Amino acid sequence: MNEPTVFIVDDDQAVVRSLRWLIESVKVRVETYASAQSFIDDYDSAMSGCLVLDVRMPGMSGIELQERLAAQRIRIPIIFITGHGDVQMAVRAVQAGAFDFVEKPFNDQDLLDRIQKAITRDTEQRDKEAYRTQLRALFASLTPREREVLDLVVEGMSNKAIANSLGLSAKTVEVHRAKVMDKMHARSVSDLVKMSMQNQPPA
Amino acid sequence: MTATDMLPANDMLWLALVVLGGSLVAVLIVLGVVVARLRGAERKIEERESSHESVLDRLQENEYRLRTIIESEPECVKLQAEDGTVLEINPAGLRLVDANQPADLIGRKIYSVVAPEYIDIYRENMRRVFAGEAVVYEFRAITLKNRVAWMETHAAPLRDARGNIYALLGITRDITEHKQAEEQARRHQTELARVARLSTMGEMATGIAHELNQPLSAIANFSRGCIRRLRAGGMSPLELIEPLEEVCDQAERAGDILRHVRDFVRKSEPHLKPMDVNQIVRAVIKFTEHEARQQRTLVRLNLDPQLPKVAADAIMIEQVMVNLVRNAIEAMSEANSPRREIAIQTRLLESDSVEIEVADTGPGIDGSLIDQVFDQFFTTKPEGVGMGLAISRSIIESHGGRVRAESSRDGGAILRFNLKISQQQVHRRERADSIHS
Repeated sequence: MNEPTVFIVDDDQAVVRSLRWLIESVKVRVETYASAQSFIDDYDSAMSGCLVLDVRMPGMSGIELQERLAAQRIRIPIIFITGHGDVQMAVRAVQAGAFDFVEKPFNDQDLLDRIQKAITRDTEQRDKEAYRTQLRALFASLTPREREVLDLVVEGMSNKAIANSLGLSAKTVEVHRAKVMDKMHARSVSDLVKMSMQNQPPA
Repeated sequence: MTATDMLPANDMLWLALVVLGGSLVAVLIVLGVVVARLRGAERKIEERESSHESVLDRLQENEYRLRTIIESEPECVKLQAEDGTVLEINPAGLRLVDANQPADLIGRKIYSVVAPEYIDIYRENMRRVFAGEAVVYEFRAITLKNRVAWMETHAAPLRDARGNIYALLGITRDITEHKQAEEQARRHQTELARVARLSTMGEMATGIAHELNQPLSAIANFSRGCIRRLRAGGMSPLELIEPLEEVCDQAERAGDILRHVRDFVRKSEPHLKPMDVNQIVRAVIKFTEHEARQQRTLVRLNLDPQLPKVAADAIMIEQVMVNLVRNAIEAMSEANSPRREIAIQTRLLESDSVEIEVADTGPGIDGSLIDQVFDQFFTTKPEGVGMGLAISRSIIESHGGRVRAESSRDGGAILRFNLKISQQQVHRRERADSIHS
């Protein structure tokens, strides 16, 4: 269902059809849109892949679409296709977070390579995002007491020190600790440390 | 009876003496008178001779003085007969035509140093001088050393004592440098115009490049998609038919673009046809609708439905209108005008033309710049080239119309141009009138 897809947005239908024909030759799924607006109307952020955008389009330009997606925190990688004399615009787009750009007329291999990289980047991003969501769920499964124990374990305190700090018996701390390891699917303290660090909200 | 018959012999002698004496006296008197007369005549001749000499002296002096003046005159001074024969010429004149000595020119026809294409003009001016006029004329000269030079001659008739014109007095100077400066200025103008045209061409070239990139990209993509599939194998050749047809279509599309360009370049002269101005305005509104909406600009039309057709090249006038409307939209959006309205009006002028007016509610035109807005390279836009209004003006002028800019009372800019009513239309109207009457 969520097979990586190249979303092509270009007002020139012949160019759109030709891009589809080219990109499908490397067995990548393609969806096409004639305008930025129709893409926004149709796109579901769960769909992975990358976006191939013409910088200049009547109506909402490629740059404007990029801004809209950024505002909605949609991080799908964008590859801009620029025409004659639009390179500066493309450079600005990349500075604003676009994945890359190709200048018309472009080499097919260049475009396909960039698409491949963009898809890889998106998959990585999504994997990371999924992992973070998973982590958040694991952390959420802990009781407040377990959470307290975990925080102190991660700080490197011994069971005894934790027991003293929390006013519990060492035995109780040990039980909590085993529960935490189990709930977090952690094999070692270092796993817990790693997970705690990764659970920080992304900058 | 004689006196001797009546007188005695001694009386005869007496008489003879008296007669002789008398005769002698008479002879003496006559002689005296003659001598005296001769003396007088002699004196008169002497007197006359001496006064004649002084006049001659004075004349000679005068002539010498004039000659000195003329000889030392730095500009060419010459006398010519009616047939163009050079009668006299000063050293400056000889130098002017690279002659070594007077004989190189004097006694010869002046036409030997006039460039062939100017001989008729020269002759005509000579004719006018011998008809009594003073004239100034320019001509190209080819000197005796085949040097080409531009000359200017001030010529006047010379008259003898009875008032008959016997020569042309000409003062000629070399105006080659002046002419060259003029020529250079003219060439500079042409060059400027060419640069202006080239920059329009440059803009056009950018547009063409952009347009051509589309079908060319599509062709490349379709072809490479085919190659990749063929390399990968395992596909029916029939599957390639559709993309290859696309390739052909896109090649044709590229060809169409080039054909348009060719037509555009060829079509520098407007093809005037009877056109409905209001229809042109409406078409332009359609072209610019999107931009106007994007910039939250309201376009109001106030079109006179009774207008006669104008003689216009619709595409060119559309270009002008798109230019004016776009300028208005951009001016208002750049100035961040709170109220953004464009009012387009068409009306019949009392003369034989229709006026189209585009008024906006933008910042208007600075009074000191109003005369420059139609100049090439004049722009107030950060990325403007300054060709839009210049091209618009040349289009309107090629239609025999005029375009003007002004600021309206409430601050916006008003651009107006007029187009001549189509003559075909006028004829038709007249015919209709005559049928009715």
